[in-house]
Amino acid sequence: MPILPKRKLPEEAEIPTASMADIAFLLIIFFMLTTVFTRDKGLKIVLPEKTQQVVKIKGERIIKISINDRGEIFLGEEPITLADLKVRVQQRIKDYKQAHGGKDPLVVIRTNVDAPYERMIDVFDVIKQIPEARAVSLASIRTGGG
Amino acid sequence: MRMQRLKKEGKINIPTASMSDIAFLLLIFFMVSTVFRKEIGLKVTLPEARATERIVKTRNIAHVYIDKNGRISVDDVIVQPKDVTLRFKLKLAENPAIISHVKADKRVKYDYVDKVLEALREAKALRVVFATDYKR
Repeated sequence: MPILPKRKLPEEAEIPTASMADIAFLLIIFFMLTTVFTRDKGLKIVLPEKTQQVVKIKGERIIKISINDRGEIFLGEEPITLADLKVRVQQRIKDYKQAHGGKDPLVVIRTNVDAPYERMIDVFDVIKQIPEARAVSLASIRTGGG
Repeated sequence: MRMQRLKKEGKINIPTASMSDIAFLLLIFFMVSTVFRKEIGLKVTLPEARATERIVKTRNIAHVYIDKNGRISVDDVIVQPKDVTLRFKLKLAENPAIISHVKADKRVKYDYVDKVLEALREAKALRVVFATDYKR
């Protein structure tokens, strides 16, 4: 067996790390450019749970807002404009609270199924802007009963 | 004058050894906080509302798209309103804190939105957000 000449020990192995920062920053820039910031936003609501038993609510506790198939808005039975709605509903809530010892009334938005979705959002937006309106419910009207 | 002083102080260098640590830290932060959008969805024009709020918990969001022709899309599949229930039941089983983000076109008839809401109620997905844009 030939004797191998003793190898000289290498000085010291070193990994060049000077360009590591460059690589990392390059990756950061890549991620920043490819990330699409999509902020999800909208109007929150919690739907009522579906139960077998019917929950009965006194008629006077309900503040009814209806939207018909042409997109016209009614507070109770009388027609109203979007601009007036906020003040009127606010007043109704205040009156109810005074009469019933601070109990919250229920605001119900009944939308005809043929009405444009935008109208319902317009009304819901107005109600959302009233801090006193805590209980809001959505319902639909089908033409010819319902 | 100035030259003389510089010579006296010797070479000035900024320590760059920890630069890569900082960069990688930033990189990891970006990678962890990025949520990749998985679906393409449908083309919708959102309605505008003044009371629009941001949803903070981005990870719990499931989208439902309703375009102006009343087509409903969940997970990039066109579905019937009654299929929404099943799909959301599965989503809720995976993550009970799910928030349904209803992205409906502003011109769509309320009927379609109502059907989707009914389906979500059926699936017990009660936390709903109607997608809107900020009103200027």
